[in-house]
Amino acid sequence: MSKGWFLIPLLILNLSVQAEDWPGEQWPSGPTPSGPAIEALEQYAFPPRDDASREGIRTDALLVIQDGRLVYERYAGQTTAETPHLTWSISKSLMATVFGVAYGEKLFGLQDPVAQYYPALGKHPDMTLADLFHWASGLDWQEDYEYAPLNSSVVAMLYTRGRRDMAGFTAQHESFSPPGQVFRYSSGDSNLLAAALKNIVGPQRYPDYPWTALFEPLGIRHAIWETDASGTFVGSSYAYLTARDLARVGLLMQRDGRWGERQLIPRDWVAFNREPFARFQVGQDEAVPGGHWWLNRAADPAIRPWPDAPADTFVALGHWGQALYIIPSARLVIVRYGDDRDGSYRHNELLKRSMAAFAGAVQP
Amino acid sequence: MRRKWLFTLVSVLLVALLGWIWLERVALRAFPDIISAYTAKEYCSCRYVMEQPADYCRGYVKQSVPVSDFFDTAEAKRITVSGLGRSHSARWLGARQGCRLE
Repeated sequence: MSKGWFLIPLLILNLSVQAEDWPGEQWPSGPTPSGPAIEALEQYAFPPRDDASREGIRTDALLVIQDGRLVYERYAGQTTAETPHLTWSISKSLMATVFGVAYGEKLFGLQDPVAQYYPALGKHPDMTLADLFHWASGLDWQEDYEYAPLNSSVVAMLYTRGRRDMAGFTAQHESFSPPGQVFRYSSGDSNLLAAALKNIVGPQRYPDYPWTALFEPLGIRHAIWETDASGTFVGSSYAYLTARDLARVGLLMQRDGRWGERQLIPRDWVAFNREPFARFQVGQDEAVPGGHWWLNRAADPAIRPWPDAPADTFVALGHWGQALYIIPSARLVIVRYGDDRDGSYRHNELLKRSMAAFAGAVQP
Repeated sequence: MRRKWLFTLVSVLLVALLGWIWLERVALRAFPDIISAYTAKEYCSCRYVMEQPADYCRGYVKQSVPVSDFFDTAEAKRITVSGLGRSHSARWLGARQGCRLE
């Protein structure tokens, strides 16, 4: 009898663990809602696809995790559940999350000068790692892709003058402002971080670090992260994950850096990711920069990039419509991969319809 | 008199143009490389990282600027593309490393 009493706390503990769902090899699934709200979401995300003109909204994948369970999944075009899709600039937020593991190892501080880990920035002794996470290096970078290819720093970095050593190419840019003062979105800043990580974790661990630190603990088996010829990860652009695997990173972030019983990333690191950059000004970008993630709130309460999504929504965004949306208050993680070539896709519209379909929010 | 004005105007424009070319010389020299390098790199990743069909990947990397030559050596997983008088290659390196321009 007394032995039986002894087991009760264990049973309760076990129940509380059972109450929270996490993916193992596969995602546990939950019931997919039906009805007009989910139809409205699908009408928006999956209109008839025109592969000749490539016009309009062209969703490759849409996947929704609620409370740690897969509740919706649909693919289009050539993308399937097994496709490691190019994430483009979602890579930046993934790089920040890899940094989070190194932060937990106490390998660096946010106010450390970048030059301490990346000597090519010796001309900029005041530039801190935090400045780079805020895209506020002060370097005179031009981020245009297709529309101004001649002077695009990012095109030159990825394909021509900068491709062999992307961080080195970035470091050669002149300053337009002292570091930490002005937000200017820059893929170069992200690749300076990727280069600094080499000395932060050490050149021995670096080539496998995204896998050992982040992907493997999350059960991600098929991730690709391309490097430049100097061996630096293209932290700005070239990570590839399946939609299901990207959602694992989303769940990690939704639950403040915890994966099961393990605090993989310190809570204060996630808090930094989600803290709006104080010097961001309205109109400088569509979304509000945090620590290498994008936010739906700013220091100025009047700024709300996606008015139909909760204020705690935070996201990773990439070229051609890639998005990882995390809405902790609705316990939602949404992965949206796309091949949008004309910019007609609207995050707010997808978020609004997703909230209506999965969080029971009333559509106005 | 009018001809003299015209001559002056053309001279000023020519000097401005040459000045602009001089200022942008680094970017201008690299400019014709973009299309072949972009096509080689992104096709390589589409085909051998995302493992999509060849036809799809040709459409995926298509831009308004045409390319003149396109070679995909499937055994070596290496792509060479020419366009605007320049040629670039990208190669698949491994399961984690994906593709890179050479």
